[in-house]
Amino acid sequence: MNANEHDNRLEEVAAYAIGGLDPDRVEELKGHLAGCKRCQEELRWLSPAVEALPEAVERQAPPPELKQRLMAEVRADAAAEERRARTEERRERAESRPGIGEWLRGLNVGGLTWKPLTGLALAILVIAGGIGYAVGNGGGSGGAHTIEVEPGSNGIAAKVVTEDDRGELHLTGVEQLPKGRVLEAWVERDGIVEPVPALFAPDQAGRASTTIESMNGVSAVMVTREPAGGSKKPTTKPFVEVPIES
Amino acid sequence: MPWIGRKDPEAFEVFYDRHGGAAFSLAYRILGERGAAEDCIQEAFISIWRSGGKFDPTRGSVRSWTLSIVRNRAIDVLRSKAGKAPKMTFDDDEIIESRPSEELTEEEAMRNETATEVRGALSQLPDDQSKVIQLAYFGGFSQSEIARMLNVPLGTVKGRMRLGLEKIRGELAEGLA
Repeated sequence: MNANEHDNRLEEVAAYAIGGLDPDRVEELKGHLAGCKRCQEELRWLSPAVEALPEAVERQAPPPELKQRLMAEVRADAAAEERRARTEERRERAESRPGIGEWLRGLNVGGLTWKPLTGLALAILVIAGGIGYAVGNGGGSGGAHTIEVEPGSNGIAAKVVTEDDRGELHLTGVEQLPKGRVLEAWVERDGIVEPVPALFAPDQAGRASTTIESMNGVSAVMVTREPAGGSKKPTTKPFVEVPIES
Repeated sequence: MPWIGRKDPEAFEVFYDRHGGAAFSLAYRILGERGAAEDCIQEAFISIWRSGGKFDPTRGSVRSWTLSIVRNRAIDVLRSKAGKAPKMTFDDDEIIESRPSEELTEEEAMRNETATEVRGALSQLPDDQSKVIQLAYFGGFSQSEIARMLNVPLGTVKGRMRLGLEKIRGELAEGLA
């Protein structure tokens, strides 16, 4: 390449730097730039001039609403990202931890067969030693929602009252517990069984209640008898099970 | 910009506060309409937010990277509006910051100084050199398009563009000396 031809290249470098090179010349110039130190230096030398051009523009204050709109979209994006991450985490947990069906199968108590809850198809209440029925999928006024389960052969009735995100579980007809045992409630979310922190016991009249802090995503509420202090995982079959409609 | 990887909205807000004004000014300069400039900024900044850290610090500052994204998007918008001529004047004498000077950070003050130098350099350029630079950078026109527009040979446009840019670069170098 002679000096004149190279001068022509340098002119193209200036146009490339400013974004004004004809599109059909760009790829060829890039190829030349890759192997030409002089043109690389010219590009480096001109870059500050190009970068300074937008700084010379008359300042216009953007409207505050623009920032509000932008940040609303950014925050919505971040929240969606967080939800996706949480769902993924739950899914991974669900894959690594046994669901209610699995641990019930694992328990193998009394040779009973138990069908895990699969949506609304299972409205049957399994009670140790007997069967009861979920008699309604709700009632109540205002924001409260009640799900009641009639007594089965063990004579225990259950009622879950939900309001906003909170739930109250009420049992009647519960036998007194042997020493060193408590009642522990469990909730099933996305196939994962989680303990309800508030342990409870029946009163003299056989009534027992506990609070479920969050009903969000709960598909079933269950109760088992557990050693004092509660358990991290159920150690006995649930004697009460209340399917929760979503 | 590690916050991009972290997707931290608070850090992004700081980033917008720092560069949003210059970006909006550039978009407005290219598009000539506040509504179109707002849409352009919204799209450009969201693309930055979602880019997940494509910024390469070895290839320039965050600001020049940001402004180049805004410029490219604004030029795309301009091109999509067939027959729309870009705004072609430099308001060199306008003040560049509405805030009192004591509120400016050192970085902003330096940028203002640079802006003043570039404006000075542009105002001293022969009109034909200034025009081709503005048409290319703010109008998004290629050399061939500019040659047809101004009815001059392509070689003339190439020469004016290079001479003009080198003069601006020379002014900046003198300002730093």
